[in-house]
Amino acid sequence: MASLIALEPGRRPLKFLENRHLLTLLLVGALVWSLAVVDWRGPLVHSGGGAAASDFLQALFPPELSTDFLRLCLVASWQTVSYAVAAITVAVAIGFPLGVIASGTAYTQGNLRVPAIVRLCLAGMRSIHELVWAVLFVSAVGLSPLAAILAIALPYGGILGRIYADLINDVPDPPLQALRASGASPMRVLLYGRLPMALPELVSYTFYRFECAIRAAAIMSFVGIRGLGYEIQLSLNDLLFSQVWTLMLFMVALVMVVDMWSSRLRRSLVS
Amino acid sequence: MNTAAANPAHLVAATGISKSYSQVQALAPLDLTIHAGELVALAGPSGSGKTTLLYILGGVVQPDEGEIVIDGRPLRRMRPGKDLAALVGLVHQNYDLVPQLPVIQNVLAGMLGQWGLLRSAISLLWPRDRQRAEKVLAELGLADKVLERTSHLSGGEQQRVAIARLMVQSPRIVLADEPVSSLDPVLSEEILRLLTGIADSPGRTLVASLHSPNLIRRYFTRVIGLREGVLQFDMPSSGLTDDVLAQLYELNHRGELDRPGTGEAAAEVS
Ligand SMILES: Nc1ncnc2c1ncn2[C@@H]1O[C@H](COP(=O)(O)OP(=O)(O)O)[C@@H](O)[C@H]1O
Ligand SMILES: [Mg+2]
Repeated sequence: MASLIALEPGRRPLKFLENRHLLTLLLVGALVWSLAVVDWRGPLVHSGGGAAASDFLQALFPPELSTDFLRLCLVASWQTVSYAVAAITVAVAIGFPLGVIASGTAYTQGNLRVPAIVRLCLAGMRSIHELVWAVLFVSAVGLSPLAAILAIALPYGGILGRIYADLINDVPDPPLQALRASGASPMRVLLYGRLPMALPELVSYTFYRFECAIRAAAIMSFVGIRGLGYEIQLSLNDLLFSQVWTLMLFMVALVMVVDMWSSRLRRSLVS
Repeated sequence: MNTAAANPAHLVAATGISKSYSQVQALAPLDLTIHAGELVALAGPSGSGKTTLLYILGGVVQPDEGEIVIDGRPLRRMRPGKDLAALVGLVHQNYDLVPQLPVIQNVLAGMLGQWGLLRSAISLLWPRDRQRAEKVLAELGLADKVLERTSHLSGGEQQRVAIARLMVQSPRIVLADEPVSSLDPVLSEEILRLLTGIADSPGRTLVASLHSPNLIRRYFTRVIGLREGVLQFDMPSSGLTDDVLAQLYELNHRGELDRPGTGEAAAEVS
């Protein structure tokens, strides 16, 4: 993939960033540094931590399974999923058009500046974590579902846009050449070649992001939205660990269902 | 040679076209004129520049040098898309269809040069000009595959889908890169009948690369031999003997090849 800073194909400022060894060196350096700053002499875990952990583990046998509580879990799951659906929908609505523009394939090559600028915007959106966005939105619109949805949708839109752009670019070239030879403009090549060929990957990555959005929606409880995260918080406050376990199992089940659904869908798109 | 290029009787007039890829000279400077009605076969071993020549004639690859005039207009100055698609169409060696689309969409892609953007987009969901595509597919024996996913088709079927696209596009110059190299003898003849059929109406021509002397003699009027990017011969296909073709494909030749009718092309290279 063309790097973000490569505004023009011929001129590549910051070319040294493409050096793979440099990246390795940086990552190894960061790891060594993080190990060095840990205070190895003191106890690594809180002294009471052992007891608390065993309490917590014991609560798994069995988790809370009363009908009332299960009903509450179902409602909470439904809430979390609806927030995640809303967030991923907005993220796709942002990410897809921006991703198409960022891919630079929609118009005849020439002006590479617009895709580069869109790429920068996408990078900006995803460089800020959803929790930070949440803080910003809460201070703007107050504790509300809207704040939570936008807080997820913005960084996810940035991620989706970036991945969509790459996927749209990385399809095999010969079928595109053939379409061009039949008189198709770049936009039509996009519609009849790039998008159909990239579709299975586009869908499966979006579903993967949907799983992540479920996770993210669950922790948005702290900006005041209901759902699994909110219930986990309440149960934790009351030290009702067996309830916490049930809620976490629901969380895992949700993600597994989405995963199964997406691999089914993907298989039907590929074959 | 330049006077030849300006002659409107020539459907295709190429002067001094050449192409190199880094170290390899894919095509040595070559002059070529083709009249409407001619059926031209390109022969030559693998790597001899057949695909390169077809791509240059099709406007898909830009030549390093030289000029191509099609129907009196320089190819260089033609807008890609609509104008070019009405004049020149190309069937690729590997069909190069979009595997994920249903067959009918790959056929209708031949209309993309003529359709507006909105129409193209809508047609992806509700195919336009459906009868036309279905008629062509029926002619090619694919009536039952209209809505099949293209990747489910066999090589020979995909080949015919690519030809169906070309028939829908209906260009005046049909270029076909090894259209029969992966087909059995019966299907080969079928495909060649179809391709020569497209070029049959007045003002049209077919240029195709293939290797079989029998098929060349039967379906083409003229044969051009290429080797390592250099023109070896250019003659009426009736004069093509198996010997001449065998020599063209012979390994380790160099100099000892007896080339009928190559005088000018050989002189240009040296
Ligand atoms: N895109 C390309 N990049 C580099 N070399 C190429 C490319 N296309 C063709 N060539 C080279 O040019 C020569 C002619 O190739 P080609 O026109 O495909 O021959 P043919 O179709 O007769 O087999 C070969 O040596 C091939 O390796
Ligand atoms: Mg070839």
